[in-house]
Amino acid sequence: MNDFSELEARLRGLRPIAPSEDLIARIERALAEATNCRAPAAAGAGQRWQWPWRVSKTLYRVGFGVAAAAATAAAVLLIYARLDIDHSPKEAPSVAAVSTTPTNTASAPVAAAEFVPAAFTEVVYNTRDEGLRFPAGPDQPMRRIRYQKQETIQWRNPVTGASLRVSYPTEEISLIRAPGQ
Amino acid sequence: MEHLAIDEEWTVRFSQLAPGLLLFARQWLPSKADAEDVVQEAFVRFWRRNHDLNNPENIGAREPIRSRAYLYAAVRSIALDFLRRDSRRARRESTVVAESDSTVQPKFAIEDESQRTLAAALDGLPREQREVLVMKIWNDLTFAEIGSALGISQNTAASRYRYALAALKKNLPPQ
Repeated sequence: MNDFSELEARLRGLRPIAPSEDLIARIERALAEATNCRAPAAAGAGQRWQWPWRVSKTLYRVGFGVAAAAATAAAVLLIYARLDIDHSPKEAPSVAAVSTTPTNTASAPVAAAEFVPAAFTEVVYNTRDEGLRFPAGPDQPMRRIRYQKQETIQWRNPVTGASLRVSYPTEEISLIRAPGQ
Repeated sequence: MEHLAIDEEWTVRFSQLAPGLLLFARQWLPSKADAEDVVQEAFVRFWRRNHDLNNPENIGAREPIRSRAYLYAAVRSIALDFLRRDSRRARRESTVVAESDSTVQPKFAIEDESQRTLAAALDGLPREQREVLVMKIWNDLTFAEIGSALGISQNTAASRYRYALAALKKNLPPQ
């Protein structure tokens, strides 16, 4: 039925050139890197070492952004509050209403905006050992530790006594050399 | 399976597949080094996707046919991308490397003049016939797998195979 069987046999007699000796070693390295980069946020092998810093840095940026926005909002609210307080004496002009408050009105917006960092706390509430990884080859095992933390930054206005606090969760992953394993 | 660096299973499987895969990649890339780069990238991509070539459990409900087809489809796709980049580079540099490279780096371990003639006749086939032939003869893929890898029907794959053999038979001197 198959009149090409002889030709197929001749073709199968041709031996394809074998790959280079180091191809398997190269793939082994690539697979090891790929395995270690399987964490969801990891985009490439070279970025793995900077990942914890990147995550933490991003959260810091978000934290500071939120803090700045909240500080601005608080300052605006304080200004409005002051203006409301100060309006009532003006509407009811009397000698008793004249106090030091009007003189503070001019300086209040400036003072209210002066929030200075007051405290920073970092609470590690969970630590998880995720086992050995081999980012630099099978001879150099590294232990991957995941830290889950809650960070809190607090600002205070020394003039008005107002304070602002931002708290957010963070996650940090560290690779620690595991000698002798 | 978590630590692939110490998992030896894939080396055995890859050693069996490698010559055929490399030959398949060289349908587009005459340079052996370039073809090896392509095979490496495709195999890593494939492994990350399926983890195990012959274990259907590792690929969920998908059938093993598609997983093997994926590997060859990946080689083909990466080789074509490489070829496009390389042709742009070659145009910029105005060099003709491929032809000389092909003669220096043969695709087969030639043992006699008959095999040399056969290999030359193979090179003369149209690419769409040659790739089917390579997948069938040196990689033992079924026509269903070939069709899946190339995005053609099983019947088209079988037809191209027969056309390739007919063309070879016509062009080769009788033994």
